[in-house]
Amino acid sequence: MKKLLAVTACPTGIAHTYMAAESLQKAADQKGVPIKVETRGAVGVENGLTAQEIAEAHAIIIAADTDVDEDRFAGKPVIRVAVAQGIKVPGELIDRALAKEASSGLGASPTSRPEENEGRKPNMFYKHLMNGVSNMLPLVIAGGLIIAFSFLFAFTKGGVDQVEGSFGAALSTIGGASMGLMVIVLSGFISFSIAGKPGLAPGLVGGVLAKDMGAGFIGGIIAGFVAGYIAHYLIKTIKMPKNFEGLKPILIVPVLSVLAIGLLMVYVIGQPIEWLLTGLTAWLTNMGAGNAIMLGAILGAMMALDMGGPFNKTAYTFAVGLLGASLYTPMAAVMAAGMTPPLGIWLATVIAKNRFTKEEREAGKVASVLGLSFITEGAIPFGAADPIRVIPSFMVGSAVAGALSMYFGGGLHAPHGGVFVLFIPNAIDHLPQYVLSIVIGTVVTALMVLLLKRKAPAKL
Amino acid sequence: MNISELLSTESIFLPSTATTREEAIQQMAAGMKASGAVTNEAAYVDAVMAREQQSSTGIGFGVAIPHGKSAGVAKAALAFSRFAEPIDWESLDDQPAQIAFMIGVPEENAGNEHLQILVALSRKLIHEEFRAELINAQSKQEVIDILTRTIG
Repeated sequence: MKKLLAVTACPTGIAHTYMAAESLQKAADQKGVPIKVETRGAVGVENGLTAQEIAEAHAIIIAADTDVDEDRFAGKPVIRVAVAQGIKVPGELIDRALAKEASSGLGASPTSRPEENEGRKPNMFYKHLMNGVSNMLPLVIAGGLIIAFSFLFAFTKGGVDQVEGSFGAALSTIGGASMGLMVIVLSGFISFSIAGKPGLAPGLVGGVLAKDMGAGFIGGIIAGFVAGYIAHYLIKTIKMPKNFEGLKPILIVPVLSVLAIGLLMVYVIGQPIEWLLTGLTAWLTNMGAGNAIMLGAILGAMMALDMGGPFNKTAYTFAVGLLGASLYTPMAAVMAAGMTPPLGIWLATVIAKNRFTKEEREAGKVASVLGLSFITEGAIPFGAADPIRVIPSFMVGSAVAGALSMYFGGGLHAPHGGVFVLFIPNAIDHLPQYVLSIVIGTVVTALMVLLLKRKAPAKL
Repeated sequence: MNISELLSTESIFLPSTATTREEAIQQMAAGMKASGAVTNEAAYVDAVMAREQQSSTGIGFGVAIPHGKSAGVAKAALAFSRFAEPIDWESLDDQPAQIAFMIGVPEENAGNEHLQILVALSRKLIHEEFRAELINAQSKQEVIDILTRTIG
């Protein structure tokens, strides 16, 4: 059953506020639609909406001639009309609200919603996170599939690099552009969810910086939250003389918020990431081939830890570097480990349909294609939506895949290509065992996800 | 507090012979002055008319709820009119007003109690049965009875 919420308010706060509330309630009762109406009138806020109710609502009707604290509805479908419309055409408003698309694909996921007793804060945290993830998802899907498609063209050439100026190269560029926006949009819309419109600019800028410094999606999440709260704080605390009040939203808040998140990213987040990258590389180099299976497991876990962030980049770059030294086994381990997160999550959505929402199952199908294409990022929406349970699962599965690949002596002579490279003669050493490592890694990932992830509550 | 403390017989017009919105508002304001709720009639009428200029208080279904907050009001009060001839109130649904409740609130609000009653009245007006009862009321006392029974 779709639940609706409404807020009514008028300047005097004596008559229209309550008439609109009553009208909406009456029309909803007649249609058999559950509705809760918050009134903001002369007697204050009554029947106030809770964060939990907002999270569960299908859509929100705002019938008001005054400010109603709209920020709390960020990411939800909102119908905004004058208070008079609430009195005049309540039935029509309810029909419009019911016709709205549910807020967001993964955003509607009840599987990883914080437990009720966790109170208000985690709930808000989750809401902001999901606003970023759901807006990012189309970019991952479009970009990932288009890049995968580009491999088909490259395949005809016998290698994995696209010929410059070819159609395959164009597809690769387009897909890369879409994937490139991923971290930026994630950060931007988390921040937007927190601070409303003023949050978008610092969020996007923070996202670009996170992406450029290789901080990956985890960096994007951090940037989004920090940017959002900076913008929120600035809006709340900056007081301007009346004559200059107009400058606050168009000049003061944008400049200060972008500058603040920018400086933080460059000096506070950027430097540690650089140290991390250097340190990790040195550590991997020291390990060398001392214990091949252990190296495979570590590389694998790193691939899955941040899927495109510093750990992933370091492992990948390390393996690519060794190709020059004719060491092909780490590259194979890295690719196997990079394929298992999206493949594993796909398998999990197939095995246990009831743990996932319809949207997640659809996203899972796409993830399978991305996994086959060695586009680890296909699993990010799942990881970002429920990091505590999902990312460790990915890491275990990837570590198993990496370790097995090393154990079997699987070798990969190209730095990319996913399943497509399997068909290129002599590109892979010990092909059947190598495929087996990927399959086992995938199964382990799926089992881990199913073990850790709770059953989705019954549909609302 | 109950609604009968807000609405006295002096401020009930059954029927009102007013033919325009202005006339109806002035008539009800005069009634509220007679009951003692309004001390400065002109100031209160100005506040009500200023509110009407913002947007009509004709909420449709033949009901209007002019209202104003003014220092000219000594204590919160209501007036009620049923018009002999429905009056054009520039309502939301373009229907003329058959009945009007006029609300007066002092500038300095003393407590919320009277507001709760006005809120209850506003909510009730959305319901057709309630409006029909008021439109068909035969006497001032019946109007008060209906309100007391349904609102308290």
